[in-house]
Amino acid sequence: MSNDANVKFRLSNSELWGGLIGLALGGFVIWSGLKLKLGTINDPGSGYVLFYTGILICLFAATIIISAVTEGAPTLASRWENTRWTKPLLIIACLALFAFALDTFGFLLSAIPLMVLLLRVIDPVRWSLTVPLSIAAPLGMWWVLKHLLGIQLPTGIFEIG
Amino acid sequence: METLLNVAHGFGVALAPVNLLYCFVGVFIGTLVGVLPGIGPISAMSLLLPVTLSGTPESGIIMMAGIYYGSMYGGSTTSILVNIPGEAASVVTCIDGHEMAKQGRAGPALGIAAFGSFIAGTFALIALMLVAPKLASVAIAFGPAEYFSLMVLGLVVLTFLTQGSMAKALLMACIGVVLGLVGLDSITAMPRLTFGRLELIDGIGLVPVVMGLFGIAEVLLNTEQVIKRDVISTRITHLLPNKADWKASAGPVSRGTILGFFLGILPGGGAVISSFASYALEKRLSKHPERFGKGAIEGVAGPESANNAAAGGAFIPLMTLGIPPNVVMALLLGAFVIHGLQPGPLLITQNPGLFWGIVASMYIGNLMLLVLNLPMIGMWVQLLKLPYNVLFPLIILFTIIGVYCSSNNVFDVYVMIAFGVIGYFMRKLGYEPAPLVLAFVLGPMLENNLRKSLILSQGDLMTFVQRPISAACLALALALLIGPLLPALRRKRELVALDEGA
Repeated sequence: MSNDANVKFRLSNSELWGGLIGLALGGFVIWSGLKLKLGTINDPGSGYVLFYTGILICLFAATIIISAVTEGAPTLASRWENTRWTKPLLIIACLALFAFALDTFGFLLSAIPLMVLLLRVIDPVRWSLTVPLSIAAPLGMWWVLKHLLGIQLPTGIFEIG
Repeated sequence: METLLNVAHGFGVALAPVNLLYCFVGVFIGTLVGVLPGIGPISAMSLLLPVTLSGTPESGIIMMAGIYYGSMYGGSTTSILVNIPGEAASVVTCIDGHEMAKQGRAGPALGIAAFGSFIAGTFALIALMLVAPKLASVAIAFGPAEYFSLMVLGLVVLTFLTQGSMAKALLMACIGVVLGLVGLDSITAMPRLTFGRLELIDGIGLVPVVMGLFGIAEVLLNTEQVIKRDVISTRITHLLPNKADWKASAGPVSRGTILGFFLGILPGGGAVISSFASYALEKRLSKHPERFGKGAIEGVAGPESANNAAAGGAFIPLMTLGIPPNVVMALLLGAFVIHGLQPGPLLITQNPGLFWGIVASMYIGNLMLLVLNLPMIGMWVQLLKLPYNVLFPLIILFTIIGVYCSSNNVFDVYVMIAFGVIGYFMRKLGYEPAPLVLAFVLGPMLENNLRKSLILSQGDLMTFVQRPISAACLALALALLIGPLLPALRRKRELVALDEGA
C-alpha cells in the first residue's frame, strides 16, 4: 500500500464514503418508516420497525464516519492497488449487458455471448475451447431444464428455446 | 427407549431409495464445493434450493443438510493438498495440514481429517438426538418476547464474531432487517418499500440475495487476483493414520468434538469459529506448542473434528426454536418454508418422520463421506486441477439459471446481479455480508415478534426484561455490544473474529 494510503478528512477516504452511503440509506429508511405510519407502542404500525432500524443505521453510519475522520482510513484507490481491477469491472459490464438482453433475446441468445465474453475476459481461454464450451454449456442446461425438469427459460422476442 | 424407536422410524425414512439418492447427491455436491476454493456451501445450497421443490420435504432437506456437512469434509482436502482453504471452516487446517503434505504425510493428514470428521459428526448427531427433543419441549413455553430477544442475541453474536469493525457489521445487520421487510406487511398487508414493483410485493427472494452476495461477488473478488495453486503432486499413500498418529489425535478429536458442538449450538456461532477455537486450545494444551505450524497432526485433527461437530450442533437452534444460528441454517430454513413447514418446537412432534429422517440420513451421509473422501481422494485431486478461467464463467451461468429457476422470474436475475455488484464493493470496503443475510432472514420474524410482544404487553417494554430467558439474552447481547469498547475485550474479539463467508 502506498504511503498516502491512509487519509483522514479527504474525499478519497474510503470509510467516509461507506459511512455517507449508510447515512443516506438510514435517512431514506427513517423517511419510509414515517410515511408508512409508526402507530403507537401499544399497536405498532407498518413503519414502526423500519423507523427505528433507520435510526440505528444512521447511528452506526455516523460511528463509521467519525472513526474514518478521526482515525483515518485507506483511500479508495488503495483498495484496488495491486489487483486486476479491470477484470471484475468487465464481468460486471458483461452481466449488465446480459441482464438487458435476457428479456428481449431470451436465455439462449444472451447466455451464449455471455459465456464467450466471460471465457475470453477473465483469463482468455483458447478459442478452440471457448466456442464449444460457450455453446454446449447453455444449450445443455437449457435442454436439461426444459426436457427433464419442465422449466421454461425466457425465449425472448424470437421465441428461441 | 422412545428415542431408539424414533431413530428406527428415522432410518425407515432415510433408507428409502429416493432419500438415499438425495443424501448421496447432497454429500457429493458438498464435498465438491468443499474441495473447490471460491464456491462454498452457501452458494451451492442457494443454487440447489429450487431443486428441493421437485421432491418431498424430507428429500430436499436431506440433500441440503448433506451439502453443508459434506463441504466440511471436502474443505480439508484443498487445505491439505493446495494450501488454499476449500471453504472458510478449513482455513486453519492449511497451517499444519499442508506442512504435513509437504513432508510426504498428506495421507495421514487426509485420513485423520476424515476420521476425525466422522467421529465428530457422529457424536454431534447423537447429541442432537438427545438434546433437540428436550430443548423443543422447553421452547414450547417461549413467547414472542423470548423469540425476539433470542434473535437479537443471534444477530449480535454474529456481528461480534464478524471480521473487522463491529459498527460495520451492525450496519449490515440493520440493512438486512430493512431488506427483509420489503413487501407486504404481514399484519396490516400494507406494501413496504416496493417502489410500485409487483415483483417486490412478496419481498426480495433469499436465493437472489445470497447468490449475488456469496456467488457473484466471490467470483468478482477471485478474478481480481491471479490464483496460483500448488497441488501436491506426489502419490497419496497411507491414508490410515498409524498408532502414533491416533495416540496424538485422540485428545484433539475428543476436545474438538465437544467444543465444536457447543459453539455450533450458539446463535451466531459456527464451524469457522469452532475450528479456530479448537486450534488455539490444542496449541495451548500441547506440551510442544512449537510443533504447531510445522506439521503437527493435532492441528488437523482438532479443527477438522470441531468444524464437523459444529455443523451438527447448528441444527439444534433451527430445529427446536426455528431460529437459524448462521447463514447456512438460514438457507435451510428457506428450504423448510418452501415446503410450507415451520421449524420450531412443534416440528419434532408434528413431523417426527421429517426430523428423525433428517437425523438418520446424517448418520448415513457421514458414512458415505468417509467412502467419498478416502478411497476416492484421487478424483478430488484431479478436480483441483480444473482451471479457474473455465470454472468461473460456469459458476456465473449456474447461478443465473439457479436464480431464475427459484422463481421463474427474470427480475430475480436482475436482483442477483445487483447484489453481486453490491456484495463486491461491500467486501472491498470491509463490509461482511453474513450479518446482512442472517438479518434478512430473521428481520420479518424479529419484527413480527416485537410487534406481537408490544401488543400483548400493551406497550410495556418491561416485558422483555421481566421474562428471565428474554432478559438473559438481552443482557448477553448488551454485554457483547459494549464489550468491544474495552481494549482487552477488543483484542480478544479481533483474535476470534472471522470471515464466515463462502
